[in-house]
Amino acid sequence: MVSRRNFLASAATMVGAGVVTRVGAASLPEAVIMETAATQAPLAPPNGRPYHPVVTLNGWSLPWRMNNSVKEFHLVAEPVVREFAPGMKANLWGYNGQSPGPTIEVVEGDQVRIFVTNKLPEEHSIHWHGQRLPNGMDGVTGLTQPGIPPGKTFVYEFTAKRPGTFMYHPHADEMVQMAMGLMGFWVTHPKNPDFMRVDRDFVFLLGNYDIQPGSYTPKVSTMLDFNLWTINTRVFPGVDSMNVRQGDRVRIRMGNLTMTNHPFHLHGHEFAVTGTDGGWIRPEARFPEVTMDIGVGQMRALEFIADEPGDWPFHCHKSHHTMNAMGHNIPTMIGVDQKGIAEKINRLVPDYMAMGERGGAMGSMEMPLPDNTLPMATGEGPFGNIEMGGMFTTVKVRKEQKPGDYSDPGWYKHPKGSVAYEWTGNVPAATRAPGASLSAAGVEYRARKPQGHQH
Amino acid sequence: MSTNRNAARMKPLAIAFSSLLLAGCASFSSDGGLDTVSAFTRERTGQAVQRDSSAEDTAASASAVKQFLTQPLTPDAAVRIALANNKGLQAAFAELGIAEANLVQAGRLRNPGFSFGRIRGGDNIDIDRSILFDFVGLLTLPLRTGIESRRFEQAKLQAAAQAVQLATDTRKAYFNAVGAQQALHYAGQVTTAAEASAELAQRMSRVGNWSRLDQAREQAFYADATTQLARARHNAVAAREQLTRLLGLWGSALDYAIPERLPELPERLTDANDIEAQAMRQRLDVQIARQGASATASALGLTRATGFINVLELGYANKSQTGEPRQNGYEIELALPVFDWGTARRARAEAIYMQSLQRTADTAIRARSEVREAYSAYRTRHDIARHYLDEVVPLRKRISDEVLLRYNGMLASVFELLTDSRAQVSSVNAAIEAQRDFWIAETNLQAAINGNGSGGGSTEIRGQAVAEAQPQH
Repeated sequence: MVSRRNFLASAATMVGAGVVTRVGAASLPEAVIMETAATQAPLAPPNGRPYHPVVTLNGWSLPWRMNNSVKEFHLVAEPVVREFAPGMKANLWGYNGQSPGPTIEVVEGDQVRIFVTNKLPEEHSIHWHGQRLPNGMDGVTGLTQPGIPPGKTFVYEFTAKRPGTFMYHPHADEMVQMAMGLMGFWVTHPKNPDFMRVDRDFVFLLGNYDIQPGSYTPKVSTMLDFNLWTINTRVFPGVDSMNVRQGDRVRIRMGNLTMTNHPFHLHGHEFAVTGTDGGWIRPEARFPEVTMDIGVGQMRALEFIADEPGDWPFHCHKSHHTMNAMGHNIPTMIGVDQKGIAEKINRLVPDYMAMGERGGAMGSMEMPLPDNTLPMATGEGPFGNIEMGGMFTTVKVRKEQKPGDYSDPGWYKHPKGSVAYEWTGNVPAATRAPGASLSAAGVEYRARKPQGHQH
Repeated sequence: MSTNRNAARMKPLAIAFSSLLLAGCASFSSDGGLDTVSAFTRERTGQAVQRDSSAEDTAASASAVKQFLTQPLTPDAAVRIALANNKGLQAAFAELGIAEANLVQAGRLRNPGFSFGRIRGGDNIDIDRSILFDFVGLLTLPLRTGIESRRFEQAKLQAAAQAVQLATDTRKAYFNAVGAQQALHYAGQVTTAAEASAELAQRMSRVGNWSRLDQAREQAFYADATTQLARARHNAVAAREQLTRLLGLWGSALDYAIPERLPELPERLTDANDIEAQAMRQRLDVQIARQGASATASALGLTRATGFINVLELGYANKSQTGEPRQNGYEIELALPVFDWGTARRARAEAIYMQSLQRTADTAIRARSEVREAYSAYRTRHDIARHYLDEVVPLRKRISDEVLLRYNGMLASVFELLTDSRAQVSSVNAAIEAQRDFWIAETNLQAAINGNGSGGGSTEIRGQAVAEAQPQH
């Protein structure tokens, strides 16, 4: 974390004296910024009520200043450059150097004061999604407040009444500002730190972006056909793994700020959905699941006991969401013999290479791509290419992972005989239904010509 | 007063008669006027001309042509071959011979002759005997010689004009032929791309990956491309045949080679300074008009002087049109000054003289305008061709490179790749056309300065439709 004191000085001059007097503060709290996309260690509360901090995947939590028992935070909305994965960066808008912005962690009953400085070229405001607060603090431009003009700082003040999982996002030119990456996570911890206590508590937001190959800035007018589906504005293999100790009770809290729903699926374990943005779910209302659909604008918290050691995928089950930028208008080449044609094309396009004849896997191919474009499905694993991108990560369950240690333990070392293996014995012919035969062209079906009009 | 005037009038006539003997000595020149023609042509095209008047001459020029044909033609070699080998031009040189023969003939009196007539009516037989002597011929002999010698000069200019025109036509046909051949090459590439698309589409449809609609669309494009290729192939043949005709080639000489590419654009361009003045000095139609006017002037002088000799020259046409016989001729009228002292004839001669002056001025104004237009076309064609080479083609190449990268990343389909490569090929083709058009414009400019003008064709530059690929993703 970096303090940006020079920024602070300039921010202080920008703020009108009247604002400072009204909030009764001598100065603004420090606007701390983050410059790396690596997952930061949880922020243990240095003062105020105690709580068990969360870990923001590929993100961090925002430090605060206590001012006469009020927790003061400072968010700066500004243009940022975010690395989506090694090899690809995007020009976004974010908070305090990052998209998404830092996670804000408070405790039930805390008095909260948030300074919001707008360093965007247009008006801004922040809506505190899911919070109970005075209407005038809801952050809706035009309805509950005027927009924060560029260069100005506004102050939001309310009491964090309800414990639970929340988020914050702009409510001024919302479509553009969210498409540009402005969003952040909010956790209100319960007064009683032992209420629904877990060993590891991960949080992230789902986002979507349309960054055309070779470009750096999202197309903000895209409605559905996004090409990058992100976990905390990162795509696999840029998403960190969630590293836990075997037997840990793990909570994953997710917010969906994309334009579609995401059925998230955990391998190797079943979980229970324990919370929504409406609050915690009573134990008797929970049911086991391995896939949970999270709708647009929703928050979900799920919990499970990580008792199976290994590297377990956790990903959106919409397979296009586990791809990076790809063409959606590409004909299927499976089974198409490209011999002869490739040579013909080569005469016109010397570097052309026939692809797709045996499917879509591109693991072994390394071909030049447009600038700032990630390969469609990559991510090297211990056994080769994982062929995943976008909303994909892993939960790494290890016996030897120490409590409080969030570092990556590396790839799982499988006990002997516990990995799928090649059969080297005789392969008996597959049993076929009587009368079935392969047609000459290798097509395993026969079209039945329509007969009569009974069908 | 009046006697004096009459005396003054009679004087040139006396001189004319006294020069009779001298004029009678007109004889054939050693070169038949071709040296002058050759000099005119060399000044304007850089190449000399010669006349095949004997079997040896023909054999010599045939072997020179053969020598040129051993290598791919250059524009200059094409011009040399055409000047040596084009039978139409040789026919024009024969015209020169006719003009000279006329000149020599004009310097000689017709032979005196006898005539004998016998008419029988009933029992009467009339026998007519006479001695003929061409008295009018004797009187008009010096006039005729003067006129014929001017006509000979005109014939030389006209022969040179025809040679220069042939050189111009040959250069244009040359660039057209090379350009058409290059276009054929690229049409072949477009067809290859289309063929690859169609074949791929067919195979995709065969294994069930593509609908018949999509397949038919690709097939239709291939079918169109094939038509285009056939068209391009014929155009290449037509352009080459046009060149062949101008080169006067046939038989085994037909498989001559032309280079695969048009000449590069020149580093330096002709300056606009002085081109109008140059055209005034060089243009053959201007010279022909000027000479015609001076001929009319001397005829006018004569008419003024005598009042009863009326010389009408006809047919100093600005240029000879192919396929049309040149309108030529003259008429000398000797009137006996009995009733009419020739005032009307003088007025008529003056009007004809004024007419020829205006015609000369018209030709000159037209020539100046043509040369300015030709220069603009030349500059613009150059700029367009350069723009294609420096901007359009590299840009298309960059687009193709990027589409290939997108194809690599499975962001674009092979069909987009092929569509784009077709567009790239078309832009290369358009660049070649622009290059060809520049060389033709350059030839036209030279013709506007040195020859008879650009041939009157419009130099309007129209937009070029380039097939534009619109990849979607």
